[in-house]
Amino acid sequence: MMRYTPIAPEYARHQGRVVDFHGWGLPLHFFGIIEEHAHVRSQAGVFDCSHMGEFVVRGDTAIAALSDMVVGDLVALPVGRCRYTALVQDDGGIIDDCVAMKPAHDELMLVTNAGPLHEVAALLEACVPGVENISHRTAKIDVQGPLAFQVLQALGFDDIRELGFWNVKRREDGLIVARAGYTGELGYELYTPNSAAVSLWRALMELSPVMPCGLGARDTLRTEMGYPLSGQDVTKARTPLEAGMERFIAWHTEFPGKQTLLAQRDSGDYQVLTPLRSPDRRAPRFGYVLRHDGRDVGEVTSGTFGPSVQCGIGLGYVPLALAQPGTSVQAGPREQTVFVEKPPLYKDGSGRNPVT
Amino acid sequence: MNPDTLKYTEEHEWIINQDGIYTLGITEYAVDELGEITFVELPEVGKFIERGEDIAIVESVKAANDIYSPVTGTVVEVNDILDMEPDLINRDCYGKGWIVKLKDVNEDEYNDLMDARSYRGFLKTVDQ
Repeated sequence: MMRYTPIAPEYARHQGRVVDFHGWGLPLHFFGIIEEHAHVRSQAGVFDCSHMGEFVVRGDTAIAALSDMVVGDLVALPVGRCRYTALVQDDGGIIDDCVAMKPAHDELMLVTNAGPLHEVAALLEACVPGVENISHRTAKIDVQGPLAFQVLQALGFDDIRELGFWNVKRREDGLIVARAGYTGELGYELYTPNSAAVSLWRALMELSPVMPCGLGARDTLRTEMGYPLSGQDVTKARTPLEAGMERFIAWHTEFPGKQTLLAQRDSGDYQVLTPLRSPDRRAPRFGYVLRHDGRDVGEVTSGTFGPSVQCGIGLGYVPLALAQPGTSVQAGPREQTVFVEKPPLYKDGSGRNPVT
Repeated sequence: MNPDTLKYTEEHEWIINQDGIYTLGITEYAVDELGEITFVELPEVGKFIERGEDIAIVESVKAANDIYSPVTGTVVEVNDILDMEPDLINRDCYGKGWIVKLKDVNEDEYNDLMDARSYRGFLKTVDQ
């Protein structure tokens, strides 16, 4: 049985093409992946991300318990800030990558992905006292693009002007707004009760810079930034170190799999997730083997055409020693050349631009 | 091309014989499934291709798809405009977005392919 978000009935107004994403009926595109991608880079796109998970944790004890389950230090997370982190299992494998947000001093919201939602919910309920799973009653709408602030200002969100990159606040009306996203552009994630979701979506659609966007553009935009996708680039078979999350690991804290990760770090002998760039329009693709000097050295976990960079791009795992920008590796059955790169592949994103 | 006069494969290719030159492309259904086409790899002119052998690669934002030749024959012309404008296939898959032309084609293999009516019937079974 396919699940739908509260906004799903609106897709048909914009001729959305719906596909199955982890059991959710979500729009792949409305106008076309490339057109939506370009619109987010130049104006503002709106994504329905209500399929994602949200968990609210209240009080120091519960926040500390949650912090013990992730590689980051959530106890030290300042009020008003967001932090990218990962839930890990005892062998160091990633259960899910997620974003922790602290809208108030004694309250933390953990935003998780749709794929492992049931497992994550069971795990959190078992280990974090009083954790509240609000996923089923919370809609998430992402407004992304250089005009994102103007768009929200037109809806009366003048109070988010001071929000810096990866900051979060709860508005007086209860809506949580995080200046974050998955596109590299200036953007805001709006967390709202289901009951208010459709009216907010419709109000956004009334505004001329806004285009509804689907999973397709979300995928090309995030790949151009080198952001991993849960369940695809980031899985239980990979550790946070391998997934390129080293700077998000708080080594001074305790977390599952810490010994494994320390051993991995000290050996320096592991594969690491790295962006890939094709010299032409041909793309590396998910599952392609990566070869170097005639040996299999890794695999491609994401691959697509990058509309803004106008070439084939992707993400893949290669040995740490090969993860140097400019290293050439051969991908897939036709051994097409791709180059290892540093993120982001697209460098002109407005994500960190000041809001004026 | 008039879609009603073309021959079709279950891999959603179309082909038509015009005076011994066989033009090959992909169908509207294939284009719809692929989405925006971003890259086409074409074969070399003069290449002999057996039925079932890959003759081109069509890549979209979503996926890379091998195109298999539905007939045995020799490549006489490729649509090299697709190097610059791969999305011609999206805009005009039965016309300017053709991919390859073949000659010396095995006619029996060609005659065995589906006609437009059979292909439409086949599409109904695919969409179930």
